[in-house]
Amino acid sequence: MSAAEATATRPVLEIRDLAVHFGGVKAVDRLSMRLDEGRIYGIIGPNGSGKSTLLGAVTRLTPLTSGEILFDGEPFHTVHASQIAAKRIARTFQTVRLLPDVSVRDNIQLGADAARGDVDERRGWWARNFGTHTSPAVASAIARTRLGGFEDYRPAEMSYGTQRRVEIARALALDPRLLLLDEPTAGMNQRERGEISTLLKELRDEGLTQLLVEHDVQMMVDTCDYVFAMNLGTVIAQGRPEDVVRDPQVQEAYLGKKFRHA
Amino acid sequence: MSDFYAANLVLIQSTFIGILLALSVQVPMRAGVFSFAGAGSYGIGAYVSAILVLKTGMPSLLAILISGIVAMVVGLLLGLLVAHLGGLYLAMATVSFDLIVSVLAINGGDLTGGVTGLFGVLSDVTIFHLIGLALLGIVGVALTERGRVGRRVDAVRDDPELAQSVGISVRRYRLAAFVVSGLLGSVAGSLNSLVRSTISPSDIGFSLIVLALTMIIVGGAQSWKGAVLGAVIFTWLPPLLAGFGQLQHVVYGVIVATAAIFVPGGLYGIYSEARYRRTRAKRKPPQGEAPAHEQALAISVPNGDAGRSA
Ligand SMILES: Nc1ncnc2c1ncn2[C@@H]1O[C@H](COP(=O)(O)OP(=O)(O)OP(=O)(O)O)[C@@H](O)[C@H]1O
Ligand SMILES: [Mg+2]
Repeated sequence: MSAAEATATRPVLEIRDLAVHFGGVKAVDRLSMRLDEGRIYGIIGPNGSGKSTLLGAVTRLTPLTSGEILFDGEPFHTVHASQIAAKRIARTFQTVRLLPDVSVRDNIQLGADAARGDVDERRGWWARNFGTHTSPAVASAIARTRLGGFEDYRPAEMSYGTQRRVEIARALALDPRLLLLDEPTAGMNQRERGEISTLLKELRDEGLTQLLVEHDVQMMVDTCDYVFAMNLGTVIAQGRPEDVVRDPQVQEAYLGKKFRHA
Repeated sequence: MSDFYAANLVLIQSTFIGILLALSVQVPMRAGVFSFAGAGSYGIGAYVSAILVLKTGMPSLLAILISGIVAMVVGLLLGLLVAHLGGLYLAMATVSFDLIVSVLAINGGDLTGGVTGLFGVLSDVTIFHLIGLALLGIVGVALTERGRVGRRVDAVRDDPELAQSVGISVRRYRLAAFVVSGLLGSVAGSLNSLVRSTISPSDIGFSLIVLALTMIIVGGAQSWKGAVLGAVIFTWLPPLLAGFGQLQHVVYGVIVATAAIFVPGGLYGIYSEARYRRTRAKRKPPQGEAPAHEQALAISVPNGDAGRSA
């Protein structure tokens, strides 16, 4: 590593000239991003601008058409979707995806099951695979997302907002280095949003790099260190959140009057 | 008791064989793999064991072991071959596999005895072997429903994309389902040949697929308990229905159709649903959610932190 590189902040994730096309639909096109360690990055953009597709490409669920993704400086496109958890990348989904027939505790444990370096690693093979214990990471994820008391509930018994917190808890139980959140506060009330924002900032202060997709502009301004504005699959503006949301191009393109009145 | 045992020996033997057969279909179903290859594996086990014992006089347990390994390898190859298929297409491909095994048995010449099959497969398999192997199968499958492996199988079935995002190799789990199903089906088939001392193509044809599927549909595919329940019911029900004379097939058909349409989770599904409802009813406010949520906040945030962010 050269001296210049050593002094610069290390990019955790680097996306170069990414394209993801579905037939004729250019969901993501000529998109580049750089995420440094320990910061919260936001993505705003109208419906269909390619935000979820981008997260899908990073988590390897969606094949790339062209371009490069580097994680920790290493090419990422040969990594299989099921190996990203081992690289400590965790995500939540835009539509809540929880196992319907198991408890909140077991849903979150699913994340901890993937974690490396957990105390569980030191258990025997047998206990780790067939034991019915709950990892300490699960208890801490439950506490952080304020799900205490819900452990034995099943997803369908809880409100949408609470289900979303279970998704976040599952991602946290994986002990991630990079956390990708696809509209984590959709369906939550104002107070819950505030709680999630506070939680994400706490996590950032502990060094967790985050990429947050949200439509709530005020929350993005309150939460993010840096924001990318997307439209038609590519980044049209980036920088400090206050600047990006005031960018005339961004406002005219899709925030429209809604934001100017806010 | 021993009168009962003597009078019903064949049914008692069939029960344990049926349990292994049902498990061979339940295991992939639970993983979301619509494979009926268990019936084909049953055919492989039945013929390979019979041939080994007949031609080499090999001990029964060794023959069961070797045919089990053969069926696992075949299961793995089949799994690799149909890896990209899902749903109905996968089901059809595995049914074809079962029928290919039947065709091979019919056209196997002296080796398989053609349409008449093989006779005089003398073995030392006792009821204790049957009980022991069935228990082994049950315990093995029950383990895969526990802990981390159990959760991961649930995830592979309910949401393969989510499963991948939490580090589960969906492909590997699906292949494992084929291999385990191959072993279970093969042991069931081996035991059948060795206990009955005979095997013919009519034992492994389409009716075997229907039988295995019936056991799972009525018993329930989510758990080994459903498979065992289904196996017991459909081993003992047909003789009981004999009293209906001509009508017995109608009664049988009505039971299966009713279960398929009205009880998608099978009998075990009814049981587990009822148990869940009971525990849910005992909880404080289940659907209300808002009060439950307030409570949760009060527990985790005793110093009024929630008020600050509101
Ligand atoms: N699997 C797919 N096949 C075909 N087209 C797709 C697929 N997934 C996404 N698209 C298209 O790609 C474009 C980008 O979709 P994407 O879901 O990434 O948008 P988004 O920014 O997340 O929108 P939203 O805010 O509504 O969540 C849309 O036009 C969408 O219809
Ligand atoms: Mg989206």
